Amino acid sequence: MITVAPKVNQANLGMKLDLDNLTDEQKALEIKDLDLYYGDKQALSKVNMNIPKGQVTAFIGPSGCGKSTLLRCINRMNDLVDICRIEGEILLHGQNIYDKNVDVAALRRNVGMVFQRPNPFPKSIYENVVYGLRLQGIKEKRKLDEVVEQSLRGAALWDEVKDRLHDSAFGLSGGQQQRLVIARSIAIEPEVLLLDEPTSALDPISTLVIEELINDLKNKFTVVIVTHNMQQAARVSDQTAFMYMGELIEYSDTNTLFTTPTKKKTEDYITGRYG
Amino acid sequence: MVKQWFKSGSPWIWMTGGAVSISLISVLGILAMIAWKGLSFFWPSQVVQFELEGSIAKQTVIGEVYDRELVPKERLAATGVDVSAFDKEEFERLLIKTGNREYVALDFRWILETDIKAKSTPATLAVFERSKNGNFYGYVEGVFKDGKPVEGDKVEALYELVERAVDLNDEALDLQNGDIGHINYELERLRLKEKSYLLDNQLTDERVAELAKARAELRAEYGELEKELFALRKQAKRDHVTVKDMRGEIVTIPMYQVLDVWFPNDMGFFAKLGHYFGQLGKFVSDDPREANTEGGVFPAIFGTVFMVMLMAVIVTPFGVVAAIYLHEYAAKNAVTKMIRIAVINLAGVPSIVYGVFGLGFFVYMLGGSIDQLFYPESSPTPVFGTPGVMWSALTLAILTLPVVIVSTEEGLSRIPSTVRDGSLALGATKVETLWRIVIPMASPAIMTGLILAVARAAGEVAPLMLVGVVKMAPTLPLDGNFPYFHLDRKFMHLGFHIYDVGFQSPNVEAARPLVYATAFLLVSVIITLNITAIGIRNHLREKFRSLEH
Repeated sequence: MITVAPKVNQANLGMKLDLDNLTDEQKALEIKDLDLYYGDKQALSKVNMNIPKGQVTAFIGPSGCGKSTLLRCINRMNDLVDICRIEGEILLHGQNIYDKNVDVAALRRNVGMVFQRPNPFPKSIYENVVYGLRLQGIKEKRKLDEVVEQSLRGAALWDEVKDRLHDSAFGLSGGQQQRLVIARSIAIEPEVLLLDEPTSALDPISTLVIEELINDLKNKFTVVIVTHNMQQAARVSDQTAFMYMGELIEYSDTNTLFTTPTKKKTEDYITGRYG
Repeated sequence: MVKQWFKSGSPWIWMTGGAVSISLISVLGILAMIAWKGLSFFWPSQVVQFELEGSIAKQTVIGEVYDRELVPKERLAATGVDVSAFDKEEFERLLIKTGNREYVALDFRWILETDIKAKSTPATLAVFERSKNGNFYGYVEGVFKDGKPVEGDKVEALYELVERAVDLNDEALDLQNGDIGHINYELERLRLKEKSYLLDNQLTDERVAELAKARAELRAEYGELEKELFALRKQAKRDHVTVKDMRGEIVTIPMYQVLDVWFPNDMGFFAKLGHYFGQLGKFVSDDPREANTEGGVFPAIFGTVFMVMLMAVIVTPFGVVAAIYLHEYAAKNAVTKMIRIAVINLAGVPSIVYGVFGLGFFVYMLGGSIDQLFYPESSPTPVFGTPGVMWSALTLAILTLPVVIVSTEEGLSRIPSTVRDGSLALGATKVETLWRIVIPMASPAIMTGLILAVARAAGEVAPLMLVGVVKMAPTLPLDGNFPYFHLDRKFMHLGFHIYDVGFQSPNVEAARPLVYATAFLLVSVIITLNITAIGIRNHLREKFRSLEH
C-alpha cells in the first residue's frame, strides 16, 4: 500500500510551540473541558486545547467529527441552535465567553467568522464591507472609504473591484465573493478569525488565492480554520488538531502531526485509510 | 400501441396542457365578453327611423337598435298580437332605444319585424346627450342664440352653442363645488368651533365677535360668488334649440341641458372613433347623473383606488410585524402552530362577517368613542361614528391580513440562514439583522402578499356596504379643504356601483351596458394596481436575488 503524507509548508517549520504550556502572551484562546450536546446526542466531549496567537490553527477530521461545531462554539454561533447545550469553558483574555454577562455581539465583533458558502449581503460591495462599521454607528465617509480600501486590499480583492465598489456584490464570482466576506470580517478588526471550510465551494484557482490570503492574514489575526482537505491544512496551518467522533484525538504542530503522528487513528486518517 | 402511448407520458402532457388551456380560455373569454359588451356601448350606433304599421297603429319610431331576439308565434299570440297572416314559426323583434324620456311612456320599446314598413337612416338625425332625461333623438329645426334664430349654417351654430353651454356649465360647476363649497365648509367649521367653545364654557364675547366677523366675511364672499354663479346660469339659459321628434312635434331643448350633440348617420369612421374616445373619456372622468344610469364613474374609480391604497398602507405594517413575530420570535410550540392555523383560517371567513364586525366594532364602538372624545361639538351628527372610508379600509385590512402574514412568513423562511449567520457573525444583534438584511430580502414576498391583498380587497363589495360605501357620494374623500384627507367621508366604489346600476336602477335597459362597462373598468383598475405592485416586486426581486446559484 502506497501512502503519501501531505507535504508540509516548509516556512512553518522551526517555530515549534509547547502547545500544552503556552504563556498568556502566546495564547489567543483556551478551550477547557468543552462538552456539547444536541438534545441527547453528545457532539463534543471533553475538548481541551490552547490556540496560539498570530498563527493558523487547522481542525481536520472526517465528516461529522465535530470540527465545525467546535469552531462555531468559539463565537457562540451555536447559541442560535435551540437544542444545543454547552458545558465547559472557552477563555478569551482569561474571560469565559460563556459567562452570563458576556455581550455576544461584542464577542462576535472580536471573533469574526467566514462560512462555507460565500454569503454576501444583497448590497453593494462597498456596503458589504462597511456593514460591521455601520452597525457600530460609524458614519464618517472618509473613515469608511479608508476601511473599505484597507480591508479589500487585506483580502486581496481591491484591484479587482476598485472600479465597481457600488455594484451589487452578487456580480462577483464565488471566489471573489468569499474574499469579500473575508474583507467584511476583517473590516471590524477582530482578534480571531474563524474560517469554516472557506474553500469547499470554490474552484481550485480561487482556493489557491484564498490560501495565500490566509498566510497573509496571520500577521494580523489569529486564524482558526476548519478544513476537509488535509493538503490544505498542511499548506496553510501552523498547528493542526485532528478530531474524531467529537473528541480531540491529536493536536500538535502541523509538521509533527503529518509526519510523525502519535495516535493510530490520526495516522489512519492522514494516510487515507478512512475519512 | 396505446399502452406505449400511455407509457410515453404524452397523455399526461395533453391533460395538464388542456387544463391550462381551459383556464386560460375561460379567463380571456370573460375578459373579452366584458370588454366587448362594455366598450361597444360608447360606439355611436346608427339612429334608424322606422315607419310602422300592422299590429299597431301607423306611426314613426326613431331610435338606436339596442337588441334583437326571436319570439315564437305562440308567445306573440298569447300576448294578443295577431300574426296569423304570416306563415312563420318565429318572428324577430327589435329593442329600440327611443330616448325622449319625458315625452314617451318608455324610452325603450320592442317592435316586430312584420310591422316595419320602411326604415331609413337620414343623415340629418341628431342625437342630443342631455344632463336630464337621457338622450333626445330628432331633427334640428331651429337654433336660437341669445333667444334669436340663427341664419345660415345651423349645424355649425349648434356645435358652437353646445360648446359654449358646456363651458358655462363647467365654470358654474367649478364655482359651485370649488369656491362656494369651500365657503360652506369654512362656515361649518366656524359653527363647530362656536359649539366647542360653548361646550367648554369658553365662549367669551370677544370670541363671539371674532366668529361673527369671520362669518360675515365669508357670507359677503359667498354673496359675490353666488351672484357670479347666477350670472353664469342665466347666461347658459339664453340659448335653445328646437327639435322635431318622432311624433312630429317640435320640442324646445334649452342649451344648458345639452352636453353633446352628434349626427351618427352622417359620421365617417374616424369621426366615430373620435366620438368613441370622447365618450370613453367622459365615462372615466365624469360624475354619474340621473341615479347613476348616465354619466361617468369617476368618483367610484377614485373611491376604489383611494380605499384600496389606504388599506394597503394599513395592512402592510400590521401583517409584516405579525409575521415577523410568528416566524422570528414566537417559540416553536403548539400555541404558535395554533395561532398560525387560526390566521390561515381567518382568510376563509365570509367577507360579510367582516363587514358586520367592522360595523359593530369600528363604526359603532371605535367611531362612537372617537366622536365622544374628540368631536363633542358635532353631536348629534356623527363624524367617525358612521360608516366611512377609513372604517372600510380598516375592515378590508383585517380581511386581507392573513394573506400578508402568510406570504411574509413564507418569504422570511426562504432567506438562507447563511446570510443571517453572516450578519450575526459581524456583531449584529437579531433586531439589526432583521432590519438591515432579513426584511429587505423578504420584501418581494411582502409585495406578493400585498398584491394578493389588493386583488382581494379591490373586488370585495359585501362588507363595504356595511362600513362605508354609498350609491352617491357628494364629495370625494380627498379635496382642497383642510385637512385634505377626509377619512370620515363615505365613498363610492366600482364594485358597489355595478351592483347598484345593475340591480337597483330604475331603468334596467339603459343601465345594462353600464354594468359591463363598469365591470370592465373595475377589472382594469385591479389589473393596473396589480401590475404596478408586480413591477415593484420584480424590481425588488432583482435587487435581492436569492443567493442560491
